[in-house]
Amino acid sequence: MTKFLAVVKREYLQRVRAKMFIVTTILLPAAMSFFGLVPIIVINIKTPPVRVAVVDQTGKLYDQLRQALVNDEAEEQTANDNNAGLRGHRGSFVLQEINAQNQSIDQLRDNLNQQLRAREIDGYIILPPDFLDHGEAEFFNNNDLFSQPALQSALSRTVREQRLIEAKVDNKTREGLFRPVDLQAVKIGETGGQERDSGSSFTVVFGVGFVMYLSILLYGQVVLGAVIEEKETRIAEILFSSVRPFTLMMGKLVGVSLLALTQLTIWALAFSAFALYGVNLLASRGVTSFSIPHIPFSHYVYFALFFLLGYFIYSTIYALVGSMVTTAQEGGQLAMPIIVILVVSFYLFFPVSRSPDSTFSFWVSMIPFSAPVAMLVRIVTQTPPFWQIALSLLIGFSSVLVITWIASRVYRVGMLMYGKRASIPEAWRWARQA
Amino acid sequence: MAASETTIKLDRVSKSFGEFTAVRELSLDVRAGRVFGLLGPNGAGKTTTIRMIVNITAPDSGAITLFGHKIDPALQDRIGYLPEERGLYRRMRVVDQLRFFAELKNVRGKQVESKIDEWLARVKLSEWKNKRSMELSKGMQQKIQFITTVIHDPDLLILDEPFSGLDPINTELLKEIVLELKRAGKTVIFSTHQMEVAERICDDICLLNRSQKVLDGSLREIKRSFGRNSIAVRCEGGDGVLDDPALVSKLVRHADEAQALLAPGANAQTLLKRLMDSGAVIGKFEMIEPSLNDIFITKVTESA
Repeated sequence: MTKFLAVVKREYLQRVRAKMFIVTTILLPAAMSFFGLVPIIVINIKTPPVRVAVVDQTGKLYDQLRQALVNDEAEEQTANDNNAGLRGHRGSFVLQEINAQNQSIDQLRDNLNQQLRAREIDGYIILPPDFLDHGEAEFFNNNDLFSQPALQSALSRTVREQRLIEAKVDNKTREGLFRPVDLQAVKIGETGGQERDSGSSFTVVFGVGFVMYLSILLYGQVVLGAVIEEKETRIAEILFSSVRPFTLMMGKLVGVSLLALTQLTIWALAFSAFALYGVNLLASRGVTSFSIPHIPFSHYVYFALFFLLGYFIYSTIYALVGSMVTTAQEGGQLAMPIIVILVVSFYLFFPVSRSPDSTFSFWVSMIPFSAPVAMLVRIVTQTPPFWQIALSLLIGFSSVLVITWIASRVYRVGMLMYGKRASIPEAWRWARQA
Repeated sequence: MAASETTIKLDRVSKSFGEFTAVRELSLDVRAGRVFGLLGPNGAGKTTTIRMIVNITAPDSGAITLFGHKIDPALQDRIGYLPEERGLYRRMRVVDQLRFFAELKNVRGKQVESKIDEWLARVKLSEWKNKRSMELSKGMQQKIQFITTVIHDPDLLILDEPFSGLDPINTELLKEIVLELKRAGKTVIFSTHQMEVAERICDDICLLNRSQKVLDGSLREIKRSFGRNSIAVRCEGGDGVLDDPALVSKLVRHADEAQALLAPGANAQTLLKRLMDSGAVIGKFEMIEPSLNDIFITKVTESA
């Protein structure tokens, strides 16, 4: 046990103190807040309002158009999806009505063109008398790319409203006609009772899968490096005269995992702080549509267990690869198939979620490589019997032990062979021999 | 220590890798408190033998007894092994490194810290304690590696080519430490193909060639049994005599003298007479003990 702890301690401390670790740990949240905050800040930079002159030859639309543009701005502020700010910078408008009574339209245009050139206004719209029927008007401007869509949609609404008024549709009917529908997703639970499913469980499973995928990509390489380290520095032989290969392998796996856990925890804390800040920001603007997803406690336990399973099963494969090769570069090449398996198992998310109770879903949730994602999808859709979950975990974690054991055997014999890369049949022979 | 007279006993041990037999039917006794030289050309099976002793690999047949017990992982803690293939963690500080290797031998706590300081002082590297090993020169790293093998105060020390690449001053320093440990009752197994080094520090030797033992016993007795058939000669002229294969089977010329190995059947008197008859001026004519190197070469060529 002393030896095991010594290995764990070394693996952990050496890596956690490394500059690289500290840099990436700080850099990710920094980059995240940078890319999250900067667009919001940039988009919110106040630009002077766009001054638009309106020649309303219909005589009916100016007031409503102004109203519509003001409403637009209000809507934008309360929109709770992130894209609202990016959907075209509408900015704000200052409208000015030009009285067309005393002048010919050509005179007006000359006048306005002059003002436009003198930058007294940024653009002007002429609404012809038949605008309500034909819906064609022109917006003259100094190369303004952003105002046109906003003006067009405001005009469309204005014209629609006006047409309804002229068709003698009263206010109440109008509102009734435009009321949106509400489609609620209802999930039939195990007990047959109805539960509301906001889709949050799915999101969380997808999130768990994604974090798992990321951690494997990130730390798999670290495990590989840790296993190769003693080969490259020629320390392996000294180690083997003191510690059993299995203890060494397990120590390395656990040490690197603690490292991963440290980094993920820091990132999770940074992310929560960031998210909390975001929610508060929105709340201060009156948006409170956030709710903590309603997920049963047992599911959180399963998330944790299957996350660990996924992480360990792939880490041990990386360890096995590391035990077969002599340099990190070789390891990188040999590790490619692992990533393919990982990606495929991640995409099983979709077929399994469509038919969580099929034979296919059962088997993929038993195979250690695909079990973490597949079983979690099954748990949040149609929770399978407990024995299936337990069996899946048992198979998974036993595989972790078996693969580690094989890796440690291959590692020991490979080390004795001095810098020879093992083929798969050789590795198998080594595992049995040793 | 000295509970048993024999520290290690190998009884008809064999090990092969696939077709290749690395060690064949090897039997050895390594006595406690002595320096045992495991000698042989490259590929003779020295390293495989050592790896079986330290329990890195298991023999296919035969038995290995260590301190009177069958080899097992707990006994590994009583061995200090310096392999020929050795290194250090490049980015680790010297002190962390030494502590780690001590912990791997189940030694922990305060005594480790004082041991580290003691040993660093002994090899004159105290001021490098907090440096990363990549900052150390190769010779310094080698001394640190040596400390990792003795930090846990092992009863059996196994050193595979410990001095290769060291300068004479450091070689002398480590040799002194090895002899000191021997006086303290430790058993030392010393593997090398540098015969001059082995000759100076080994009490007993075992000569391996092509996976088999060709010779073993105390160095003194081996030399005696080889007889004095070697002659150091310094003379002017007489080259034709020294080159006569009927008299001299092997002639090695050094800077100012030559070493002649007598051919079978020839004797020193005849050689001396022939030299004088040829008119050579003789400065030195001395019968000497065969060097370990000569024994080694003779035995290896014989068994080939």
